[in-house]
Amino acid sequence: MELKDKIELLAAAAKYDVSCSSSGSSRQGKEGEPGSAHLAGICHSWSDDGRCISLLKILMTNQCVYDCKYCVNRASNDTRRVMLTPDELSYLTISFYRRNYIEGLFLSSGVIRDPDYTMERMIETVKKLRFQYHFHGYIHLKAIPGCDPRLLIDAGRLVDRMSVNIEMPTGESLKLLAPQKKKESLIGPMRFIRDTIAEQRDSSRSIRSTPGFIPAGQTTQMIIGASPDNDDRILTLSEGLYRSYRMKRVYYSAYMPVVSHPMLPTVDKPPLLREHRLYQADWLLRFYGFSAGELLDADHPNLDCLVDPKSDWAVRNYDLFPVEINTADYETLLRIPGIGVKSAGRIVNARRVGALDGADLKKIGVVWKRARHFVTCQGRYYGSSFRQMDQLKQELMPYQAAKKLQTGGSEQLSFFQEILPRTKSGPESGLQNLFLVKAGEIG
Amino acid sequence: MTDCFNYFSYQYDGTFEGLLTCIYEAYYRHEVPEHICRGDTVQESLLDCSIQIPTDRRKADKVLESIRVKISKEALRHAFYAYLSELDDIGVWIYRYLRLGWKVGSAVDRHLREEEVWTVQEASRKVEGEANRMLGLLRFRELKGGIYYAPMGPDHNIVSLIAPHFVDRLSDQQWMIHDVKRDIAAVYNTKDWAIAAVRQKQALSPDKDELEFQQLWKQYFQSITIQGRYHPGLQRQFMPKRYWKYLVEKNG
Repeated sequence: MELKDKIELLAAAAKYDVSCSSSGSSRQGKEGEPGSAHLAGICHSWSDDGRCISLLKILMTNQCVYDCKYCVNRASNDTRRVMLTPDELSYLTISFYRRNYIEGLFLSSGVIRDPDYTMERMIETVKKLRFQYHFHGYIHLKAIPGCDPRLLIDAGRLVDRMSVNIEMPTGESLKLLAPQKKKESLIGPMRFIRDTIAEQRDSSRSIRSTPGFIPAGQTTQMIIGASPDNDDRILTLSEGLYRSYRMKRVYYSAYMPVVSHPMLPTVDKPPLLREHRLYQADWLLRFYGFSAGELLDADHPNLDCLVDPKSDWAVRNYDLFPVEINTADYETLLRIPGIGVKSAGRIVNARRVGALDGADLKKIGVVWKRARHFVTCQGRYYGSSFRQMDQLKQELMPYQAAKKLQTGGSEQLSFFQEILPRTKSGPESGLQNLFLVKAGEIG
Repeated sequence: MTDCFNYFSYQYDGTFEGLLTCIYEAYYRHEVPEHICRGDTVQESLLDCSIQIPTDRRKADKVLESIRVKISKEALRHAFYAYLSELDDIGVWIYRYLRLGWKVGSAVDRHLREEEVWTVQEASRKVEGEANRMLGLLRFRELKGGIYYAPMGPDHNIVSLIAPHFVDRLSDQQWMIHDVKRDIAAVYNTKDWAIAAVRQKQALSPDKDELEFQQLWKQYFQSITIQGRYHPGLQRQFMPKRYWKYLVEKNG
């Protein structure tokens, strides 16, 4: 079979894996040998769905012994099975790399024969790249759940990042949809990787020649919308993964109805907006000092689809506002809707040489439409006055969403359906864009 | 002093040293020229009178040193990057930015309320942004003889900013990054690199395997898209159409 046909099948089978980032490793090139790693990662292209392409994201094979209900590669699915050899994979990677198509390789695989055998074949590919081609670029390897921990150590010394997909937000959902995968078999390798990283870090303090172990850390991913779990459970889980498992990233993947099964929900479109809101909330956890409990609780188990999570939080805690922009500390600035990490930093810098007013804030890059209701500048308030919190909330929505609410008075659920992005682009479907944070960061 | 009653502008040879020489002259002549422009972009107007400023290495070095010591290294970087932006009138803005810098010292970058600070920083950000973007979007093609050739048409003059990244990364390849808009290129021979003027006439012929890899990459690009999430607007937001011309996957 032609290489081109294999790429067609195995890239298509890998595309539902969200992670593409090539960040977290910083490695200078070596003279006479190809490759280096850029700390912030580099995006090389963007596919027609707007997701960034950084690594050659591909499966080694789409054969699989497992029969997970939601997966295209499940054993019972009637589809063509192919496999790329370590020679083909490493040659392809290095040839793409030399043309600057990619930052490196992201290798995943269906499980052939057993987890150990699969993992060994993957490591063989990585070894070819590192030792035969002397490749110093980025490699992200998927850890196959259930494989021998020694293989994880072998692989971890050669690659930049490893990930195990947690797949479902709860053990019950996992049991239902991926009966052969046990929660413990997913959590086990994560814990093992975390502990090995910590161990290596400790011993590298005393012994200089300690070999590195996945310098860019581990990530994971879960599918959103295939199971009935609410956002509160998902976000609390993510918080735990960041805190106790030291994850670099948790990715959320809107459930795509790739296969139909009586146990799976029937959806026409993937819940992209919900996925987007989860990413926004995830950002609040990692960079804005929020905790999951502040954003969601039993009374508010799901993120609001009409406004971003920070605006939603600020409306519910309006008694904390307005905040004086010239005196508030950095942590407080970060909690104001319309102010991000960059603009908060600029405000702190700029106000040291003179008091700021509304016009200055706009220049600095603050989203004034949202921020003005929550700040004062030298005592002056620029926002509107409200009788009800709902009015304020409408001010914070994207224009079309607010208008729709006013004219239709429609319920949120039908509205939610309507603002999901269409399959074809048009001025209307750009709605999701309005609040979209950089997808380079999401990817 | 000049004999012009109304507006006058400075003209320099287009190099950074030339711009610094202009700044030296303006500062010591206590003048604020209406424009500081490169020799090749001058628009004459009736009331305008332009003064040729010959580039003087010694004066340029003095200004450079003074920026580094009396203002900050960051200000020097902003000034240089803004110069590379080649935006209209950026010369005068750089001059005004530096003048403020000599007044307030290293705090100049905090004076975001001042238009000159904002304008220069914005230009500098644009250049840095495009350079970062090009680290990903540049595409090499292997030519007969094994040289990797990458054409590009950036908005700003970034070739000197991106070349070191590829010297580090593709250190065992001979390559050439060609700024087609400006007819200059960074050339690397596996040991040293340099910027050179290029006037390329004949078409370049690709290596025999090259087209095959381009096909494979196009196939990959197509297969990785999730059709249910089709969103070309988002794609263009990150990868504006003006860059597609040289992208293999977009038939460049």
